[in-house]
Amino acid sequence: MSGLLDDRVAIVTGAGQGVGEGIAAAMAQAGAAVVIAARRAENGEPAAQAIRDRGHRALFCRCDVTERADVDAAVAVALDRWGRLDVMVHNAVSPPGPPRPIQEVDDETIASQIATSTTATFHCAQAAFPELRANGGSLILLTSPSGIEGSGHLPVYGAVKGAQRGLLKSLAREWGPHGVRVNAIAPVAWTPAMDAATEANPTLEARLIGRTPLGRIGDPTADVGPVAVFLASELARHMTGQTLAVDGGRYLGL
Amino acid sequence: MTTRTRTALVVGGGDPADSVGVGLLSAGWSLLRLGDEPVYDDTISAAFPTLEHLDLVVHARYPTLCRRRMELTDLSSEQWHQGCDEPLEAGIRLARAAHGPLRAAEGTIVYLVPLPASAGGEGFAAFAGAAEGLRVLAKSLAKTWGGDGIRAHAVTLDPSAFLAPDDAAGMAEANSLHDPPLGRVPDLTSEVSAIVDALTSDAFTTLTGASLVVDGGLWMPG
Repeated sequence: MSGLLDDRVAIVTGAGQGVGEGIAAAMAQAGAAVVIAARRAENGEPAAQAIRDRGHRALFCRCDVTERADVDAAVAVALDRWGRLDVMVHNAVSPPGPPRPIQEVDDETIASQIATSTTATFHCAQAAFPELRANGGSLILLTSPSGIEGSGHLPVYGAVKGAQRGLLKSLAREWGPHGVRVNAIAPVAWTPAMDAATEANPTLEARLIGRTPLGRIGDPTADVGPVAVFLASELARHMTGQTLAVDGGRYLGL
Repeated sequence: MTTRTRTALVVGGGDPADSVGVGLLSAGWSLLRLGDEPVYDDTISAAFPTLEHLDLVVHARYPTLCRRRMELTDLSSEQWHQGCDEPLEAGIRLARAAHGPLRAAEGTIVYLVPLPASAGGEGFAAFAGAAEGLRVLAKSLAKTWGGDGIRAHAVTLDPSAFLAPDDAAGMAEANSLHDPPLGRVPDLTSEVSAIVDALTSDAFTTLTGASLVVDGGLWMPG
């Protein structure tokens, strides 16, 4: 996919690890300059350095997506360093906590899931819009199959990921006339959260793989990253308001 | 043998909550009402201290800011919070608060949502976000509450059930909605409430996690 994003500039939130890191790496490999917007420097700086070590362009910017000023600062970094912004990828989400039914979910989990999903989507969308409009850019949200089919074990996570889909379809309608596309990816991939879940539940990996037609759990860089590159590129110029499930075929209900 | 009156709690100010509540009352339900006030863990027990069971909870709580047409780029942070985050959180909290009384009656919870939840709505990103989150929440509740005998559904209504006539007409136009094949959209009081009522009946004890579009065929997704 080399060259698909030449001269483009992207911000990826939550890019210090997992799916966000994979998307940032794939976009950089495709030619984009990438702002690694992450809450923790101990993850974000090495992720940016790893991209630079491969000869690509990346900068770390400390960013708590629940703080509008931090998101504005990430946009400012992109403009100051590279003079434009073409792609905003909102991937960051707070840990959903242990599996449990809704009546056992604590207030803090509800608040943090909403803050990092819907509130932060609002921040990222509004902060990026002027540049996206100027450049015919693209907003990409990372949702989840749980945001489509629900999740018995992580009901709040399912709700906020569903909320992002309602939001993106509305934004696709609002921003289409401005030439800005809005799409989502619903991945199932190896992330630190998946590592923790499979460690806590030894049968989870086998059960997941058993229900996945392609027979494995996705890789953030090799499997999810290229789909994000595609959505950000001219190849997807007539696609908006869509959710692409990148999960090996586990969810087939779309 | 005495048969106790079935009790329904309908949550939300204005329509569709008002009209669906009237319809349920007409059908013989004992009706409890809450409006758009904040929802806390003790909201139900504080409002109805002697309540032990709920056979039905209907959620249609979308405060004014949800229903006001505003493009996302024009919204303040506070407007976003009031239009999306707060109603989403309140709908989640309502589920948490209702679990005990619903379990006691092996009852049903129904989230009423507008068409833009699943189809998108220009100028209604906050509303669509909150409502789609709650539509998906109903599926999540169905997955875990089935063991408690509780069923959970979402019912999608046409835009006119929630929005001012001009906004609803604009959304129908934007979605290229055809005229409803059945000639009209359902009446909230007599027809939508009847479907909500039916979802609680013994005829549907194996139906849960359903996402029904009740709009006279105005919109046919998927």
